[in-house]
Amino acid sequence: MTTATATMPAATERRPANPAAKAVRAVPTLTKRRLQLSLQSPRAVLVPLAAPVLFALVIAPALANAVAPGPGRTAYMTFIALSTAGLLIPMNCLFSGLGVIVDRQQGAMRELMVAPIRRSSIVFGNLVAAVILTAFQVVVLVVASDLRGANYTFGVRTLWFVGAALVFSILMYGLAEILTVRMPSPVEYMGAVPAMAIIPFFLAGSLFPITAMPAWLAAVAKVLPVTQALALFRYGITGPAGVSALHNIWGLHDATTMALLSMAVLVLYALVFVNGAIRLFTKAGTS
Amino acid sequence: MSPSQLAIEAVDLTKTYPGDVQAVKGISFEVRAGEAFGLLGPNGAGKSTTIGMLNTTVKPTSGRAFLGGKDVTKDPIGTRSISSVVFQDAVVDQLFTGRQNLELHLRLWGTNISTGRARIAQLADVVGMSEYLDRPVGTYSGGQRRRMEIVRALLSDPRVVFLDEPTVGLDTRIRHDLFDVLATLRDQTGVTILLTTHYLDEAEQLCDRIAIVQSGRIVACDTPAHLLADLGDLVLEVRVDDADAAERTLQTAGIPEKDILVIGTTVTASLRDNQDDSVIHRLREAGVVVRSATTRNPSLDDVYLRLTGDHIAAGDEMEAVK
Repeated sequence: MTTATATMPAATERRPANPAAKAVRAVPTLTKRRLQLSLQSPRAVLVPLAAPVLFALVIAPALANAVAPGPGRTAYMTFIALSTAGLLIPMNCLFSGLGVIVDRQQGAMRELMVAPIRRSSIVFGNLVAAVILTAFQVVVLVVASDLRGANYTFGVRTLWFVGAALVFSILMYGLAEILTVRMPSPVEYMGAVPAMAIIPFFLAGSLFPITAMPAWLAAVAKVLPVTQALALFRYGITGPAGVSALHNIWGLHDATTMALLSMAVLVLYALVFVNGAIRLFTKAGTS
Repeated sequence: MSPSQLAIEAVDLTKTYPGDVQAVKGISFEVRAGEAFGLLGPNGAGKSTTIGMLNTTVKPTSGRAFLGGKDVTKDPIGTRSISSVVFQDAVVDQLFTGRQNLELHLRLWGTNISTGRARIAQLADVVGMSEYLDRPVGTYSGGQRRRMEIVRALLSDPRVVFLDEPTVGLDTRIRHDLFDVLATLRDQTGVTILLTTHYLDEAEQLCDRIAIVQSGRIVACDTPAHLLADLGDLVLEVRVDDADAAERTLQTAGIPEKDILVIGTTVTASLRDNQDDSVIHRLREAGVVVRSATTRNPSLDDVYLRLTGDHIAAGDEMEAVK
């Protein structure tokens, strides 16, 4: 121990305080922290990616061969491959939520809670990191399935895909953050993942159009955010065929109106979930 | 004392948790800038809840608290910007290196990064952690991790550092090492320290004043020397077959009732003017069977016993049983 004769270093300079700057200053720092932690544990990135990529590269072509051989094969394979984004995004966001539980139980969460930052910025920092990781995985998925033979059309309408993927990621992360407060045990939390990510995926027009389901189940499907997101994904990058998914939800003829309505639903969900996440997180941080 | 000289001011703080659990029942104290102040008491006494209210992680049910003159409920970010905390257990990013954890603190506290890095190097040298600064914290021993957390708490040059039972779970040697580090850093920085502990030696070593907390209330608050002065020169501790008879005999020997404490078959009494030999002689003369007898200097444990009728360690055991 070298304590006796050492002299204390000069105090560090503190940057000038500005309430507005304080509100946003911490978000990039917290985003970087979450990304670094995620990348130091590659499983957190690779595991959510494995199932959807397998789905897109193996199961989608196989299903297409079995269900729609011949001229409809590519269209069905594209249909299925794109659907996997509706599984990938919730899975990845929910896995990101697991990191928050680890932070609370074994990590630096309490240090963050006593830092001179708005506590909402902790939620936003984690949210931005989750969205960045999810975006990377969606790009991998789209590229991989495109190389495997899916038929995507990229153009101005692709912005609908990008926007829907972004808003859907934000709302799913908001939901994940809410779940971390409600289910603080990792075991309990992981038990909720199928209910939040996998069951809605099967109801959302991922393997077949929602019109193929009984009317009451189709009505339930229309309320699910993943149904709206998948419809916008299809509208965004599968050309004219993509309009039918929106039509199955809204029954209108103007595609742009239907796309706007679906986006509005997603944005509404995102606002509710993120707002709820911030409120619950802040409340949980001050007993 | 003018408010500007106060680093911490707690005014009638209370905290009631759901289920009507009253953890803190009206605590008031003041800590001067540069002072080391200890909250001493068993687990469950309300020490950590009090620190929680001061560092804004626990919302007071009533009362007010100020850090550097800032109200903790009205200006939580302001109060957090001038304070930092060393927690009871590990609160670190295990996958990060010590340096990464420290730099994260610099950024969150809005400290200039380049001068902050120089301070990391210097503080790491002071506490002897330079050689493992770039190792993942998950590979640190308990003592190494604690040193890193103490350096972290001082990086942003806080006016107040909360040390919430910082040596819990560490072995005796490491505890002493860490307290040496803390005492050195405290002397050199002049930082205000609020320490909670149930280790009496730690409180005595570091603190200028100590508040003894029992069941959510402060039952005494003074310097260690003043607290000990009330207990006389020596403490006699005897184990007897008949504690009531021993107590009566001690009283007839001139020891006031307030200086005698009976717990089971153990009787302790504060002695003044080298009474020890005569007192033991009087007990034997009175026919009290003395199984063992020792005299020793008074300790804070004795102060605590007198004030609360309970051992600090016994309180811990009770808490553990609960």
